[in-house]
Amino acid sequence: MSDDSKPLGKPGRDPRADLCRGLALWMIVVNHTPGNWLGGFTLKNFSLTDATEVFVLLAGYAAAFAYAGMADRQGWAPAAASLGARIAKLYVAHIFLLVVFTAQVGFSAATLDRAVYLDELALDPFAEQPYRTLLEALLLRFQPAFLDILPLYIVLLAILIPGLWLRRRPWLVLGLSLGLWLGARALGVNFPRWQEGGWFFNPLGWQVLFVLGFLLGQSVRGVASLPLPPRNALVTAGAVACLLIGLLVMIASEAQPWLLEPLPLWVPGFLASIDKTSLHPARLVSILALAYLVGAYLPRDGWVVRAAWLRPFILMGRHSLPVFCFGILLSFMARLLLEADDGWGMQVLANALCLAALVAVAWIGEWSRATTRRRDPVLPAAAGSH
Amino acid sequence: MPMRLFLSLLLLAAMPLTARAAACDVPAEVMSAARPMPAVARAIQARNLRVLVLGSGSITGPGASGPDAAWPARLEAMLAQRHPGMRVELTVRGGRGVTVQDHLALLREAQTTQAPSLVLWQAGTVEAVRGLDPDEMGEAMMQGLERIRRAGADIIVMDQQYSRFLRANANIEPYRDKLRLVAAAAGAALFRRYDLMQHWVETGALDMERTARADRAGATDRLNDCLARAVAELIAQGVAEAR
Repeated sequence: MSDDSKPLGKPGRDPRADLCRGLALWMIVVNHTPGNWLGGFTLKNFSLTDATEVFVLLAGYAAAFAYAGMADRQGWAPAAASLGARIAKLYVAHIFLLVVFTAQVGFSAATLDRAVYLDELALDPFAEQPYRTLLEALLLRFQPAFLDILPLYIVLLAILIPGLWLRRRPWLVLGLSLGLWLGARALGVNFPRWQEGGWFFNPLGWQVLFVLGFLLGQSVRGVASLPLPPRNALVTAGAVACLLIGLLVMIASEAQPWLLEPLPLWVPGFLASIDKTSLHPARLVSILALAYLVGAYLPRDGWVVRAAWLRPFILMGRHSLPVFCFGILLSFMARLLLEADDGWGMQVLANALCLAALVAVAWIGEWSRATTRRRDPVLPAAAGSH
Repeated sequence: MPMRLFLSLLLLAAMPLTARAAACDVPAEVMSAARPMPAVARAIQARNLRVLVLGSGSITGPGASGPDAAWPARLEAMLAQRHPGMRVELTVRGGRGVTVQDHLALLREAQTTQAPSLVLWQAGTVEAVRGLDPDEMGEAMMQGLERIRRAGADIIVMDQQYSRFLRANANIEPYRDKLRLVAAAAGAALFRRYDLMQHWVETGALDMERTARADRAGATDRLNDCLARAVAELIAQGVAEAR
């Protein structure tokens, strides 16, 4: 591949979004591998928001380019059909990952025949009710630990099918979305889980972030949407203040808990009330502040998006579906490695393997896209070749 | 970290595998979580200490040699030993699969009989294992802690047991975060069992998952004893701070 003068992707595609998405995908893999030392350096340690928010916001952003663009050119039905095909792919990927996950947990549980861990052994519901668990998993009412982002993504894309109808009425879309988010929070409504409670990521809450990402994408595409916030000192100061407060909160509540002791009890009480399940406003504000600062101050063609060492992450962001699914699979394997041995040698090995595999998946995706393009007589060869 | 690694390697090399029974020490950061315990201090002065232990599976001491080897029973014995002549009455409520919601009901029941001076609340394992909502767990626990505080008792919140299995297969972090914040919001001490057990695993003092079947009951007894000792230490610290 040649680096000179070649724009990354088709015009209109923002390499900053791909970069952020690539980094978020990598952080998701790291955070899904408990015991990983790198997990202490991901976004969630420094901010109220984490890689999940970045991923969902940018999923909405990318959906504007892919599906709203398609609906504008070809009409609603082909775009809806394309969304349906995507959802089907995600569902199959989820079920495949579930099977792999179940095999892994079953294997780990079989080696843990220690009576001390009486409660912990309940982690494997397949051992007790295999058929019922399988059915509930197919209905997305049983989601094992760490397999909760794909079901959310599936529902978000499904909401977009009727949502595309309203794509030319951005204020209505925003109003409906905010109403749904606030209503779900106020009434405590969530998608049901099999045994009790609701989904770990409540789609009724998280859709607001997806929709905001979608509207952002629409603005960037230059079609009817909300006005983008201006780049000025006031908004910047607000965004920086939000992130600084978040940083202080994380330091006080995780790294240096003694900082909380002299504070009045309502401060930790408020922190304890910040939920991830239905996207607490503090989390939403944090991700929007972060997105504003990246959008306003990271130049589109600056050194960051040109840096060779960041290029793998841009590629990962461009091929997010295979990278995401493969990443979850990799995190299962890394988990087995770290369960067997979590010394520094294994830490380095597991992380190097994961990152190399993710880059390889992205690179293969890029290569195969380039080869299909080249065969396509309508489009000029988009990717350079040696 | 490299220093600790080096030391533990040294330790490993110096000892034959069978006798790798380093002391289950309690690092300073675990003790730094102590909070003043005026109610316990008063009870010790009155020579009558009532303790209520709420918890899930581990409070029954599964896998240990007998009921007397479970950590709550060991704690009762240690407290009596530290304060000769004092009446120690320790009640245990809960068991395998018992959630914080269930604890709330047990708490109401227990408080109608005789008010304890100290409530030791071990929670968060069942919720993490079943993937229950961490926020609902936090809210329920806040309610319970508020109730205990109003009744005038001191509180210690105890978090999950560490195991590589749990860490790898359950999304444990949100539940640990919630317990930490909820304890801080109630002004309660947090007994970091997870960090403590991980420390013992890493220093080679106690590693349940790597213990051979024949040695398991003995190791379980030792684990319960070590935990009880650390809790007794935390209580002593809290009482000292209350004076």
